[in-house]
Amino acid sequence: MSQHHNQNEIQHYYEGDQSKLYSGIMQHHTDVNSPESKKQIGRIWKVFWILLVVTLVEVVLGMFFSHQMPKALVAFFFLALTILKAGYIVAIFMHLGDEIKSFLIMVLIPLTLFIWFIIAFLADGGFWLFMNSHSPTR
Amino acid sequence: MSQATATTAPETKMWGGGRSPFNVSYGKMMMWFFLLSDSFTFGALLIAYGTTRFFSAVWPDANQVFKSFPFMGEANLPLLFVSLMTFILIMSSVTMVLAVHAGHYGDKQGVIKWMLWTIVGGICFLSCQAWEWTHLHSEGGWWGSFINATDPVSTFQHFFNHHKESVQAALPAHGMQATHDFFNYFFTITGFHGAHVTSGVIFNIVVLINTVNGTYERRGHYEMVEKVGLYWHFVDLVWVFVFTCFYLL
Repeated sequence: MSQHHNQNEIQHYYEGDQSKLYSGIMQHHTDVNSPESKKQIGRIWKVFWILLVVTLVEVVLGMFFSHQMPKALVAFFFLALTILKAGYIVAIFMHLGDEIKSFLIMVLIPLTLFIWFIIAFLADGGFWLFMNSHSPTR
Repeated sequence: MSQATATTAPETKMWGGGRSPFNVSYGKMMMWFFLLSDSFTFGALLIAYGTTRFFSAVWPDANQVFKSFPFMGEANLPLLFVSLMTFILIMSSVTMVLAVHAGHYGDKQGVIKWMLWTIVGGICFLSCQAWEWTHLHSEGGWWGSFINATDPVSTFQHFFNHHKESVQAALPAHGMQATHDFFNYFFTITGFHGAHVTSGVIFNIVVLINTVNGTYERRGHYEMVEKVGLYWHFVDLVWVFVFTCFYLL
């Protein structure tokens, strides 16, 4: 740590000795023009093109085909493509794919609650519509 | 990629203290926790939107509501403007991750360049959203709009795919409530997202100023760039879901 914080001691109070806690990718690279750095930048642009193409596919699907196809199929396509985009953003742009596995699992496990959350609430909404349009008292 | 840790403690001492078991600094981990909680806030809003939509007999059609483009008058251009907004936000996400990358290599000029582009992208996105809000407001949409039961169907039917027979049949009884609900959710959720973009732009400006002043260079690392980067990517991530829920489905 001696090479950090030595010019400005006040920094220590803001950050503490965090320098040894960085994940691997944070650690002491120096040459931004190195092949390793170039490879990373290439990966970023690759993901950009994937996101762009997936979005264009979604828009074309939404503009021209969504009224001709079965609703459930359209919804499935859109949700699958959305999850795909979200995966790329989280794994590559947010570097979650570069963190150690236990950290990745810690972030992802709470999100599985959404599976219950979505199914339960949408089913409830559908049941409301059924009740309101098929009520025997009407 | 080097995964070397500063201490050489054996695996069995992983949780023995003196190091981060997750190999992540405190600030970064707390940013992840915050984003996790924020994802539940956005998730709750979007699922509430879905629930309301499921219990509505009819629902406005995105291709009808969002078909305008600035300076194009009455031209029918469904989804084109929101595609542009999405492109701008994805682009700013790319420039952000390039700033983070430059930070990993201690490349101060690179961080400044890419942070500037990210801020420009964020401001462009907010400007687009301001235009879209203004446009929808001029069409009568706002929080609490479409509540006057005596208004005729013609005041809101252009938001629907009203050439379809089943939609037309449901409009007189359910159309106004659906339009009202749709705009309430639309302005609440895109507004909440826009507030995140706004604060993200402010954080980015603060980090840019610190970078220019050499604060991170003296500190020896650009972790703050990485932390605001996480926030900025999350905002992009949320937009991916908002885009799907409001404009596509």
